[in-house]
Amino acid sequence: MPKPHLAILILSAIVAPQSAAGFFEKVEFSGIFESELAAGIVSGNARKAEFTLIPELVVNFGRISDITVIARLRSELADKLEPGKTIDIELREAFVDTEIGAAYLRAGKQQVVWGQADGLKVLDVLNPQSFREFILDDFDDSRIPLWMLNAEIPLGGTLLQLLWIPDNTYDDIPPADGTFAFSSPRIIPRLPAGLPVEVAPIDRPDRTIKDSDVGAKLSAFVGGWDLSLNYAYHYFDRPVVRRTISPTGITLRRNYERTHIVGGSLSNVFGDFTVRGEAAYSSDRFFLTDRLEDADGVIRAGEFSYVLGLDYLGWRDWFVSAQIFQSVLTETRPGLVRDRIDTSATLLIRRDFLNESLQAEALLIQNVNQGDGVLQAAIQYEWRSNLQLKIGADVFFGKSTGLFGQFNDRDRVSIGFELGF
Amino acid sequence: MSKPDTRTKFFEVVTNWPKTILVLSVLIIISLGSFVPRLHKDTSSDAFIAPDDPVVLYRDHVREIFGLEDPIVIAVINDGPEGIFNPDTLALVDTLTQSIAGLANVDPDRVTSLATESNIVGTDEGMEVSDFFDPYPATQARADEVRAAVADFPLYQGALVARDGSATLVVAELLNQDAAQDTYEEILAVVAATPTTAGNEIHVAGEGAISGYLATYIDRDATRLNPLAAVVITFVLIIAFRTFAGAMLPNIIVLGTLAATFGSMAAFGVSFYVITNGLATILIGIAVADSIHIMSQVYEEQARDPVLVSSRQGRREIAIRAMARMWKPITLTTITTIAGFVGLWLGAAMPPMKFFGLFAAVGVAAAWVYSIFFLPAALTLFPIKASRLFRGANINDRYGAALRRLGEIALRKPGVTLAIAAFIALAGVAGTSRVIVQEAQIENFQTDEPIYIADKEINRRMDGTKFLDIVVETDEIEALFRPDHLRRIEALQAYVEQFPAVRGSTSVVDYIKQMHKAVNENQDEFYSIPEDEFLVAQLFLLYSASGNPDDFEEEIDTDYSQANVRFNLNVADYRLLTEIIPAIQNYVDTEFNTDEIRANLSGRVAVNYAWLKTIGDNHIRSLLLALVFVWLAAAAIFRSILAGTLSLIPVGMALLLVYAVMGFGGIWLGVGTSMFAAIAIGLGIDFSIHTLDRMKELLATRTGSFDERVADLFPSTGRALFFNFAALALGFLVLTSSEVPPLIRFGMLVAVAVSTSFAASMTILPAIGKILRPAFLFPRDTVSASTPSTVASAGSVAALLVIISMLFMSFAKADIADLLSGDEVIDRVNARDDGEQVSRALKMELVDRRGKSRIRETVGYRRYYGAEKRTVLFYVSPTNVKGTAFLTYDYPDAQTDDDQWLYLPALRKVRRISAADRGDYFLGTDLSYEDIKKESRISREDYVFSTINTEEIDGHLTYVVEGIPVDDATAEELGYSRVLWRIDPNMWMSRLTEMWDINGNRLKTVRNNDFEKIQGIWTALRLTTVNHKSGHSTIFTFSDVDYRTPVDDSMFEQRTLRRGP
Repeated sequence: MPKPHLAILILSAIVAPQSAAGFFEKVEFSGIFESELAAGIVSGNARKAEFTLIPELVVNFGRISDITVIARLRSELADKLEPGKTIDIELREAFVDTEIGAAYLRAGKQQVVWGQADGLKVLDVLNPQSFREFILDDFDDSRIPLWMLNAEIPLGGTLLQLLWIPDNTYDDIPPADGTFAFSSPRIIPRLPAGLPVEVAPIDRPDRTIKDSDVGAKLSAFVGGWDLSLNYAYHYFDRPVVRRTISPTGITLRRNYERTHIVGGSLSNVFGDFTVRGEAAYSSDRFFLTDRLEDADGVIRAGEFSYVLGLDYLGWRDWFVSAQIFQSVLTETRPGLVRDRIDTSATLLIRRDFLNESLQAEALLIQNVNQGDGVLQAAIQYEWRSNLQLKIGADVFFGKSTGLFGQFNDRDRVSIGFELGF
Repeated sequence: MSKPDTRTKFFEVVTNWPKTILVLSVLIIISLGSFVPRLHKDTSSDAFIAPDDPVVLYRDHVREIFGLEDPIVIAVINDGPEGIFNPDTLALVDTLTQSIAGLANVDPDRVTSLATESNIVGTDEGMEVSDFFDPYPATQARADEVRAAVADFPLYQGALVARDGSATLVVAELLNQDAAQDTYEEILAVVAATPTTAGNEIHVAGEGAISGYLATYIDRDATRLNPLAAVVITFVLIIAFRTFAGAMLPNIIVLGTLAATFGSMAAFGVSFYVITNGLATILIGIAVADSIHIMSQVYEEQARDPVLVSSRQGRREIAIRAMARMWKPITLTTITTIAGFVGLWLGAAMPPMKFFGLFAAVGVAAAWVYSIFFLPAALTLFPIKASRLFRGANINDRYGAALRRLGEIALRKPGVTLAIAAFIALAGVAGTSRVIVQEAQIENFQTDEPIYIADKEINRRMDGTKFLDIVVETDEIEALFRPDHLRRIEALQAYVEQFPAVRGSTSVVDYIKQMHKAVNENQDEFYSIPEDEFLVAQLFLLYSASGNPDDFEEEIDTDYSQANVRFNLNVADYRLLTEIIPAIQNYVDTEFNTDEIRANLSGRVAVNYAWLKTIGDNHIRSLLLALVFVWLAAAAIFRSILAGTLSLIPVGMALLLVYAVMGFGGIWLGVGTSMFAAIAIGLGIDFSIHTLDRMKELLATRTGSFDERVADLFPSTGRALFFNFAALALGFLVLTSSEVPPLIRFGMLVAVAVSTSFAASMTILPAIGKILRPAFLFPRDTVSASTPSTVASAGSVAALLVIISMLFMSFAKADIADLLSGDEVIDRVNARDDGEQVSRALKMELVDRRGKSRIRETVGYRRYYGAEKRTVLFYVSPTNVKGTAFLTYDYPDAQTDDDQWLYLPALRKVRRISAADRGDYFLGTDLSYEDIKKESRISREDYVFSTINTEEIDGHLTYVVEGIPVDDATAEELGYSRVLWRIDPNMWMSRLTEMWDINGNRLKTVRNNDFEKIQGIWTALRLTTVNHKSGHSTIFTFSDVDYRTPVDDSMFEQRTLRRGP
C-alpha cells in the first residue's frame, strides 16, 4: 500500500516546521526562590538568613526520554550554619529519563528514597544527608543527590529496581563552629583530658568502581498491600571515628565502613488508618564506647531497626500520624554510648484550613531512652498560586548528651517565603 | 503555705515544660481560632424562636400557600392640597414601582402600588376590571378620577392610600427574606436616584426592612465596639501594672478565650446571633480577671523577693508561689461564674440566649485553662520586669491606699455600713416594682435614623405596616363560596378591627363585596356578601373575564378552600400584643371555629408575639436558676450554706440597684436587657468569692483584732478586685458609646451591676463578717477541706459541658417525603457513555470569599478495567506543587475501599492514603473525593432517589432528582444530607447540582457549563462549584479532552507517579 506512506510523507513535510517549534515548547524552565530567616527564641539573635534560588530545566523528547537539570544557589548571610561559607552553588540533580521496553531508566545525579518512614531513617540509606541544620531542613533540601544508574523493570506483577551508585559522597557534617555542630557523646567520642589529640585526615573510599554502592528493590501491590524487599551493599554515610591512646597522646582516625543492608517495607489502609512499616538489618555497624580499655573506642555490631507508623485521616482537614522506631544491636558491651535497644517516637499533627491554603503542622520527635526530642511547628500560607509564606518554630528539649538535647539552647523561630516561577 | 502539697507539685510540672505549654497554647489558639471563619451569622429575628416552633412552621406553610412575605414599604407623601393625587406624584409612584420591581431580590409580580392595582367597576354587562393608571394620569383631571376611584374602593383606603389622601405606598415583597437588608439598601439607593418634585417626600420602612436592617445595624455597631472594649481593658491593665507583660499576657488569654468560645460555636454549628455581640465584651472582661489576680500576686511575690526575678529558676519559683496562692480563688470564681451562665442557658427559651449562656460558660472555662497553664509557663520562660507599683509587702499606690481607707470606713462602724446597704436595697425593691416588660423592634434604632422616621411617618398616615395574618381553613373545595363562612370571616374582621391598634384589614370578603357592588351599578347598599353561594362563584367568574385571576392569590387559594385575612397594625410592641393576641385567639377558639371552618393566627406579628411573650418568663427563670446555681456552687466551695448565702448579697444588691435604675429611668426589660441579670450574677459573684476566700485566709494566718487581721484584704485583694472591676465596668461602658439604644442600656446596666457587686463585696461582706463572725470564716483544721469538693464541682461542670456538647452535635436532619422514583433517571445517568479512557488537561481555579484566586494546572488520565476505574492526576503548575500526583483505583464492589496513592515531590515518596472519607475535600478544592471520583456519575447505593419535579436550567428542561443518603452513616461519610440534581435528559448529565450538609444547611452548588460533544461523548468543559458555607469556590476548566488515544497501563503505576506523565 504505497499511498498511505506517501500521505505520511507529505503530512510530515507539512508538520515538520511545527514539530520544531514543538520541540522548543517542550523546554520547560521553572524555579523556586525561597528565603528563610531564623532567630533564637529566647536570645533573639539571628540564627539564619538564607536566600536560595533553585532553577530547574526540563527538556522533553516526548514519551521517549527527557532531561532534567536542577541547580541550587544558596546564600546564608547570617554566616551561622557553616561559618565562612556564605555562598554555595551546587548542581543538585541532572538526569536523563528514558524507557527501554517497559523498563524505566534514570541515569545521572538524583535522589532515590526507600522506605515508608517520615523523619526517621531505616531503609532510606542510599543518599547521604547534610546536617548543616541538623534535621530541621526539609529532607528534599538536605538529602545529597548522587550520581547513579536507576532502572525500574516490571517483572510480572512486581517491579524490580536496580541501582548502581558509583559516587563516593557522604554525609555533610557541620563544622565545629556551626550552629548545629555535634557535641553529643553518641557521635563525638569522649576523650580523657590532658592528653594531646591528633586528628588524622579522613579516609574516604576513592575507587569509583570498587567502592560504589549497589542496591535492589522488589516491590509489589498484592491484595491491598504495598510491599517491598530491599537490599543494598553500601558505605554507611557517617565515618567511624576510631581512637588510639598512647602515652604520647590520642590519635583520631576516621574512615567509612561498608555494610550489607537487607529489609522490607509494607503499607496498607484500614478504614481511616494507614499502616506503614519498614524493617532492616545492617550487618556491619560501628558504635562508640566510653571504655578506655577498648583498643579503638569502637564496637562492631549488627543492627536491626524498624519503624511502624499509623496515619489517621478520619477528621476532615486533619492528618495525624504517629511512628515508633526501634534500633536493636545484636550485641552490647560495657561502655557503649548508646543503649542496646534505642526507641524513638514521633507524632505529627497537621491541619488544613481555608481550602488548604493555610496549613498548620506540629511534629514531635522524642527519643524514649534519653527523654530528649524536638518539636517543630510551622504554619504555611499559600498567599498566591506561586507564593507561600511560612512561619515556624523549632524547639529542642532534653539533656545535652542526647541527640536532640545537644541543641537544647538552639531553639529558633523562623519566617520565610517560597516563590515559584 | 503550710504544706508544699499537690498544687505546688502541679505547678512545678506546669513550669517544668514552659516551652511545650507555650507552643501548645499557641497551637490551640490557632486551631480553635481557625474554626471562627466558619461561624455563620444569623442576625434575623426568627433566630429568637426555635425553628420547629409551631408558629414558625405554620407561618412558613402560610407563606407557601399565599406567598406572603414581610414586605418592604415605600411611602410617597405629599401634604399639598391635592395630596398624592396630582400628576407629578402619581408619575413618581409609577417610576418607583418600575425601578423597584427591577431589583434582583424583589418579586416583580408582587410589587403593589397604585400603578399596579386594578379597579373594579360595574358596567352594563356586569363588571369591568381595569388598572387605576389606565389611561395614565397625566393631567390633574385624570388624577382626580383616580382619587374618585380609590374613594369608591374601601379596600385600598388606609392600606394602599392614606385615608386623607396624603400618602400612598409601593409595597415590595422579597424573593429571599434573608437578603432583606441588602434589598433595603438597594431600595434606598433607588429612592436617592429618583428625582422628586417639590412637595413629594419618600420614606422606606416595613417589617421586611426593619428586621433585616436592624440586625446589620446592631451588628455593625458591635463590630466597632468590641475591639474598643479590648483597648480600654488593656489601658486598665497598663494602669494597674505599668509593665509590658502585665498588659500583654492577659491579652493572650483573652485571645485564647475568644478563640475557644467562638471556635467551638463554629465547630458545633451554632450561629452568631445579634446578642452574641455582647458575649465578646463579657469574655474579654472575664478572661483578664483571672490574670489580674495572678499577675498582682506575682508582682507582690517579686517585691517580696526581688533577687528571684533575674534567674529562670527564680522566676519559676515566683510563678509556682503565685499560682499556689491564686489557683483556688480563680478556680472557685470560675465555677461560680459558670454556674451563673448555666442558669441563663437552662432558664432561657430563646435559642440565642440559651447559646449565649452556654458559650459564655465555655469561654469562662477556657479562660481558666489558659490562666492555669499558659500564664505560669509564660511567667517562667519570659523575664518579667518587676512592676514599680509593687514595693514592699503591700501596694501603697493611690489605689491600694484608697481601698485601705474604704475598708477602714466600712469596718469602723459595721452597723452603719449595713444600715446604708439596707436602705439602698429598699430603694431597689421600690424601683423593681416599676420595671415594665416591653419590646418593640423599631425602638432599637436611634430616633434620627431614617428607618425610624419612616416607620413613624408611614404608620401615622396609613393603616400600618405590621401584619397579623389570620388564615381560615376549610376541608372542602370551594367551601369559601358559602355565604355563612364569608359572614363568619366578616365578623372576625369586625371583631379584630375594634382594637385601636388594628387600623384595617383585607380579605377576600372585601373583594366579594366590592364585586357585588360593581355588578349592581355601583350602588352602595350592595357592598355586602351575596346571599347565594352560586352568585359568589359567578362573581369570581365575571372577574376573571376582564381581570387577572391571580389578583386574589394573597387572599384565597386556587381551590377556594383556604383564605387569608390580613390585618394592618401601626404598632406591634410587646405590651400591645400581650393584650390583643390572647383576646383574638380566644375569639377564634370560642366564636369562630366550627367543625367545618377553622382559623389560625400567623404573620410577623403572631411570630414576634410567640417569642416576645417569653421575655418576662425567660428573665425570671434564668435569674432564679442563676441564683440557685451560684448559691449551690458557693455553698459547696466554702462548705457552708451561710457562705453561699453571704456571697449572694453583693450580687443581690447589684440586681436590686439595676432594677431601680430601670424602674426609675424608664428602661424596659426587653430582649437585650433581660439577659443582664444572669450576666450580672455570673460576673458579680467573683467579687464575693475573692473577698470571702481572702478574708478566710487572712483570718487564719494573721493575728490581732478582726480589723487588723483583714486589713490587708483591701490593698491587695481589694486592689486586684478594683482593677478587675475597672476592666469589666469600663469594658461595658464602652457599649454606651454605641448607636444602638439597647446596647447602650445593656452596657450601662451591666456596668452598674458590676460596680455595685464590687463596692458591696468590699464593704458589706467585711462588715457582716465582723458582726456575724460566721464559723466558715474562722480557722479550723479544715482549711483545705474544700479542695475535693472544688475538684468534684469542676469535674461535674466539665462532665455536664461534655454531655451538652454531645447533645448539640446530634441534631437530627429533616425528612423529605418521596414523590416519585428517580432510580430510572439515575440508571440512565450511570449508563451514559463517558469513554473507555480519557486524557485531558484540567485547570483548577480556587477562589476564596474575598475573590483571591489560586490556579493549579494538571493533566489527568482515566481508564476502565472492566468495572474497575483507574484515575491519575499530575500537577504541572505552579512550581510549588509541580510534580504532585494522585492515583486512585476505584473498585466496583462498594464494600471494597478504593486504593489511593499520593506522590509528594518534597518527600520524593509515594504515600498510601486512606480513602474512607469520601466527603473530604479533594486537595483544597470544593469538590469532595467522591465528587471527583464519580465525575458525572452518581453512586446508586448511597442514596434513595426521587424525581420531584422538572425545571428549566439554562433554557433546557431537566429532571429535578432528589437524593437522600440511605442512612445517617452514609450521609456522614458523604457530608451531604440531601442532593438535588437537574438532569438533562438529552445528555443524561446534571446541569446544576445542589448539596445540603448533614445539618440540613445549603452547602454547595455545582454548575456544569460549556457542554460539548467530543468524539461522540457529551462533556462539560467547565464546572463551577460554590461552597455557600465558606464562600469559597472552585472552577474546573477541562481542555485537550481526548477519549480516543489509548492510555497506557503504566500510567496507573506508582513508578509513573514518581516520574511524571
